[in-house]
Amino acid sequence: MPDRFTMVTDEPRVDPEVIAQWQEELQRNLGRMKNFTEMVANPKEPSVGPTPRQEIYRKNKSRLYRYESRRKYRTPLLFVPNLGISRPYIFDLLPGGSFIEHMTREGFDFYLLDWGVFGPEDNRLTLEDCVTRILPRMARKVLEISGARELSVLGYCMGGPLSACFIATHPEVPVKNFVNMAGPIDFSKVGLFGVWLDPRYFDADKFVDTLGQIPADMVKAGFKLLRPTMDLTTGLNLWWNLWNDSYVEGFQALNKWANEYVAFPGEFFRQWVKEFYQQNRMIRGELRLGGKPVRLGEIRCPVFVVGAKEDYIAPAACVKALIDAVGSTDKGYVELPGGHISLIAGRGASVHCWPKVSSWLAPRS
Amino acid sequence: MADNSSTQALFDLWKKQIEEGTQAWARLVGQIGQSGQAQPPDPLQFWRPFMDQGMAAWSKLLTQGPPTPELLTQWKQFLDQWIAAWQKVLEQAMGTEAFAQVLGKYLDQWLSLQAPIKKVAEESTEATLQALGVPSRTQVVGIARQVVDLEDRIEGLEDRLGALMARMDDLFKSLADHEAAAARRAADRVAQ
Repeated sequence: MPDRFTMVTDEPRVDPEVIAQWQEELQRNLGRMKNFTEMVANPKEPSVGPTPRQEIYRKNKSRLYRYESRRKYRTPLLFVPNLGISRPYIFDLLPGGSFIEHMTREGFDFYLLDWGVFGPEDNRLTLEDCVTRILPRMARKVLEISGARELSVLGYCMGGPLSACFIATHPEVPVKNFVNMAGPIDFSKVGLFGVWLDPRYFDADKFVDTLGQIPADMVKAGFKLLRPTMDLTTGLNLWWNLWNDSYVEGFQALNKWANEYVAFPGEFFRQWVKEFYQQNRMIRGELRLGGKPVRLGEIRCPVFVVGAKEDYIAPAACVKALIDAVGSTDKGYVELPGGHISLIAGRGASVHCWPKVSSWLAPRS
Repeated sequence: MADNSSTQALFDLWKKQIEEGTQAWARLVGQIGQSGQAQPPDPLQFWRPFMDQGMAAWSKLLTQGPPTPELLTQWKQFLDQWIAAWQKVLEQAMGTEAFAQVLGKYLDQWLSLQAPIKKVAEESTEATLQALGVPSRTQVVGIARQVVDLEDRIEGLEDRLGALMARMDDLFKSLADHEAAAARRAADRVAQ
């Protein structure tokens, strides 16, 4: 006869491992609720740009910063990012997740060119001004401050083609090495932007003549359209990792950056769209800046190109084209997993990308 | 723990759904591209196979044993795949000439509308500010431009001054070398 105090049921017993898993899931959900409440009720401005730096030169809106480092290599490194679109603190986002921190820790004398946030008074600034007036001056300042005889140039995104134009048209500037990270070169392979900016459908002149400056909201709309599911993925990943405090910290910093767009000066936009996207003049050797032809074959210093497999802004094939165009004998190309931003920010970048860049530059610096 | 084979089967099913959905959408986009007319696509063509099979798969999974948090992981993976499939589909649609044409037309119309509005707004703001005796935006921008130009001219002067200084340094150096050589020659002559 069964004991009346013993529960006997036909239901199968739940595996203790399953119970432990649910308990863990419950903990995560509590963490999610805690962090969600914190984000909504007490939103904190993420602190970005942790690496100490010093402004060493300014020209109109542009600034040149030198970052503190234990200098191990003689050749200084000038970092040229994109102009407009976004702010450059993405390169120094958080401690332990900063490209600049990595490079300075490796012993590079690191200089960042911040193009700045442009206003309507800058609408006459052209791409030609950037290449023939701002970049040479910045390079000279780097040489002056560092006391070096040569410098390396690292271009990221739009900074890649701008640097390439600068190096090709200024043989008198002693550039020892050139690194192009995700910088579009062959615009016939530039993907969706290339299709949308087709001269048959996109009138760059009308845009600039009407608006003067290309407003930040319009730049944002263009990039959002390029990746319409991005916000959904971001939200989903945030919810999934909301229990993880360090993820939330990283998310807040990245999200701040991702929502801070920068306007384009009108004339710069006109030249950028027409001569690069629509006419693809640089790779075809038809571009002239400051009265000089831009011949990529004139670039003879060692060149390293980094492309990203899932880059939808500057597809790998479009970036890789620099390798065949330059006249250098010492040149290398590496294609890494991830997208445009994952080369420069995030855990993947610190593992896959940054060490490759620093280890290529180190023996040449 | 969930049964591995059933999980695999589930993923295979999702993969099939995504592929079918993508193909359905690609066919739709292809039709638009061929006809040249942007007819409104029927989203049900994409959704029907996706939803029917998805619901069947989920009801099957939920009836198997006690649910574990792995179910949530699978759900997340499903959503990731679903979003990736949508992205692929949208990319295909947005990469067509038809889309570029529609986008271009939209932007053109927007600009045509924007130009007179902007002009009227600027003129009225300018008039109001002038009436109030406050500097207008155009005037502030004009002053800022002048400052930028002035900065450029100062830099130009700096450059020229730098070049002059460098030339003078070279001159002084060669003069000093010349004097030193002359002094040496004189000293040699005295010694002789």
